Amino acid sequence: MIAVSALSLSVLPTSAFAAPKVDGVTSTAIKLGITLPMKGSASFGYNQLPGAMKAYFDYVNANGGVNGRKITLVVKDDGYLPKQAIQNTQDLIGKDKVFAMVGALGTANNQAVADAVNLGRRGIPSLFINTGFSGFNDRKAYPTSSTILPSYVMEAKLISKHVKELYADKKICLLYQDDDFGDDALVGFDKDHGNLTFASKIAYPSLSQGVAGVPDSWVSKFKAAGCEVQIVFGVSSATLYTVLAAAKAQYAPKWILGSVGADIASINPATTPYIIGATSMSFLPSVVDPKDEYVAQFKEINATYNPKAKFNSWALIGMNSAFLTVQALNAAGKNLTRASLLAVLDSSGAKLANAGLVPLNYSKSSNVGYNGYWFGTFNKTGDLVPNDAFTYTVYTTDSGTGAVEKSSYSRPDMPAKGLPN
Amino acid sequence: MRTSTFRSRALAFISATSLLAALVVAAPATAAATDPTCNGATPVQTCTGKTSDGALYEMRVPASFNGTVTIWSHGFGTNTSIPGYFAIDSSPQIAPANSAAIVKYLTDKGVAVIGSGFSTQGWNLDEAVKTNAELVGVFKAKFPAAEKFVAWGYSMGGGITQAFAEQYPELLASAAVMNPVDSWDAQSKYFVDLLWLLKNWFDPSIKLTGYADGAAGDMQMLQDIGKYTAMLKALQAGVASGAWPTTSSASAKALQAAGIPSRSALLMVGRLAGISAQSSSFDGIAGPATAAQTAWPLAYAPALGTLENISAVIGYALLGARDMQAKMGGTVFDNSTTDYSKQLSQADRAVYNAAFSGNTAIAGMLSTLNPLNPDAPRIKADAAALAKSKATMYQSTGKIKVPTVMMIGQHDPVEPAGIVQRIADLYEPEFVAAKEAAMAASKDGGYVPARRQLAVLWSVTPKTWSKFTADGLPIPVVGTPGTGHTNFTAGQYKLVIDSALAAAKTGALPVNLNYNHALKNLKLTIDRSSLYPWMKYYDNN
Repeated sequence: MIAVSALSLSVLPTSAFAAPKVDGVTSTAIKLGITLPMKGSASFGYNQLPGAMKAYFDYVNANGGVNGRKITLVVKDDGYLPKQAIQNTQDLIGKDKVFAMVGALGTANNQAVADAVNLGRRGIPSLFINTGFSGFNDRKAYPTSSTILPSYVMEAKLISKHVKELYADKKICLLYQDDDFGDDALVGFDKDHGNLTFASKIAYPSLSQGVAGVPDSWVSKFKAAGCEVQIVFGVSSATLYTVLAAAKAQYAPKWILGSVGADIASINPATTPYIIGATSMSFLPSVVDPKDEYVAQFKEINATYNPKAKFNSWALIGMNSAFLTVQALNAAGKNLTRASLLAVLDSSGAKLANAGLVPLNYSKSSNVGYNGYWFGTFNKTGDLVPNDAFTYTVYTTDSGTGAVEKSSYSRPDMPAKGLPN
Repeated sequence: MRTSTFRSRALAFISATSLLAALVVAAPATAAATDPTCNGATPVQTCTGKTSDGALYEMRVPASFNGTVTIWSHGFGTNTSIPGYFAIDSSPQIAPANSAAIVKYLTDKGVAVIGSGFSTQGWNLDEAVKTNAELVGVFKAKFPAAEKFVAWGYSMGGGITQAFAEQYPELLASAAVMNPVDSWDAQSKYFVDLLWLLKNWFDPSIKLTGYADGAAGDMQMLQDIGKYTAMLKALQAGVASGAWPTTSSASAKALQAAGIPSRSALLMVGRLAGISAQSSSFDGIAGPATAAQTAWPLAYAPALGTLENISAVIGYALLGARDMQAKMGGTVFDNSTTDYSKQLSQADRAVYNAAFSGNTAIAGMLSTLNPLNPDAPRIKADAAALAKSKATMYQSTGKIKVPTVMMIGQHDPVEPAGIVQRIADLYEPEFVAAKEAAMAASKDGGYVPARRQLAVLWSVTPKTWSKFTADGLPIPVVGTPGTGHTNFTAGQYKLVIDSALAAAKTGALPVNLNYNHALKNLKLTIDRSSLYPWMKYYDNN
């Protein structure tokens, strides 16, 4: 046994000048990690993300990898539990030795991870987190994290404009989750932002949606208030239970579902026809868009490398995040380090090619990805479509008091074969 | 052998400020100490005596004495004697719980093992440091072959050891500090925030401050212990239903009427005070194999974990607060201007949102803690007592002055991991500077690597540990690694003291691959990246 103390040297060891070893990176491989719910009641839809991401990474690997390195993705199931997400992230970093986290999911889980695992101080990137909580744009608190979704404040501002334009004379009501996710939306709806007035507003504590009778009590209140347009800004299980309770009570408003709660994978229109015709929004093209080049390319990749999984909105989101990841890794160069990867996002993250119909906003002062949505309706197959012609009217805004405007963004052409330049 | 069953020394404080002046002496005072009386036994002789302040000491000196001596500082002990409840014990302690096995383990190596029972119990950090310093002198006078002294201790003794190393580094070759107390200001805020918040919501009839002097005050405190016990039982009974104790305040009853379950308030007390929500039985991860599998760890486990941890700390908290009041001649805790809403972190709001019953419930609970709420009367410190405390109580600097090994459980309910985290955080920039200085010196032709002077060994939990019956009821789990107070194994104690002994010999901590392997086998880890929140006291200081 040689103690460190015995290593008293008269000259600097040559290793002092060698390039430092980077966890998760070798000359031939890059290892990434993700934690998200993969099993159980909270996993519907979300658990399709890693399969789609792996499919895209496998496609890139089959085409030479990134700067000669093949990408692997280590997936851990956190059951949507913050303590498990912390444990998983610690294991991914400490035991699996991943280079970076990518595509982790959930507001609370990622706040917990940032707090307890301290990715920021350790300089470990957590890219393209699937959340729209505006708090992640705090660069001091989350120096190495980036989110992919538009902020919930933006989303609420856009819903406000949409509702005021189409349903100005209707009674508008709101169901929202009583946490940071819902509070972000409240900011977007308030008089300084979306300025939307509600005839009735109910905040539900997380988990209460699953308590027998509780969603019925919400519907009863909304119905008594004469609500004609019902906005649901909650998780998909809240949407599901509310819609089921509404059907039972013959409450038939115009449904407007926030993007998080519009998870059609868990609200099967075949068994819940009430959801057909509901309005929701997306920043990516419709997955049934017949003319979108990204949809076509990703669908083909999914069929080849993830053949057992249906190509749906979650597959599109997962593949798009993987596509962004590959480009960022590529741009970080052969001498890949965590710092060089983060620098890419700061300097040119907004210029990375992607399937989004609104621009990305990564910069030295912004951790936020997309900044807008298009509105569409759910068809009989459960797919969100803008209209029969698949033409998109995209709106964009910020998380502050900036106006909601029609986007003039024109998406650049997809790199050949969907591979990074 | 698990040593968590070691006899726990009870708790108390006493007025002994006259001894504080002795702290300023630079060298150990041995004039009034009695010389050690040794029995001359072989292979290990035992020597006993009394230091100048009356502390009984004991020394075990092997015939093969190699010049290295360990000096042990024991944990919290009571200064209050209430027949049937508390008894003062000032007998000498020379190893964790006076473990004969550990004493033999050390003397077999040729190491002498010494320690005292201290002259006073309770919050005796100042007195104990002085006693330890004197004891070093007494031993050296008797056994001139003594060369290196290694201080070690846990809990109160951990704080004593750290303070000893900070104030008398010239006497020590190394130190082993296990789950130490923080400075009194930080520790008292932890204790009294907990006690006040529980009293405020769940039983305002609890006295908590203004105890009478002497035996009458002891009985008042005993009555409070009974009330806290009844309250915790009521909270446990109400975890599933959300029912509040019948003794709850008017403000609490308004929260109850608003539909906020008592478990949410219980968790809030824990988060505001800084108590871990993960305990020996509750991991906040596993759920029963029922429909509640996901909801259970989110909604119920945090409150139950908090409750289990509160049960472990509340005795220390109450006795500490009452005895410090006696020692300083009045209430030294003051929360008259505390903004408790600032003590709830953003991460806690998010992570425990479901258990809190949502943001509206969080806002409702915090609103009742407004200093202006007449139903939540604050504690105002006695000015003279506070001044006395500030002027006389030693405040740990957290500085590392001798090679030091620390060990702490992730979820220690009595001495939260943040106490050690603070010391580690304070040390890290010093080590970085030392490394930079070493690199700079290399330009002159010589390179001597900077030696890390602090190693923190975290006792870590398994991945999950909660267990449930087939009906979905939780099964109590005892002794989960990384939880509980002073929940260390004999193997862990041996590794810690071996590390300190090695550091005493070489001047450096034995951190290498073999050492890391040993740590892993003992469910310990060195992780300089994870963060545990410092005690709430430091948020405002």
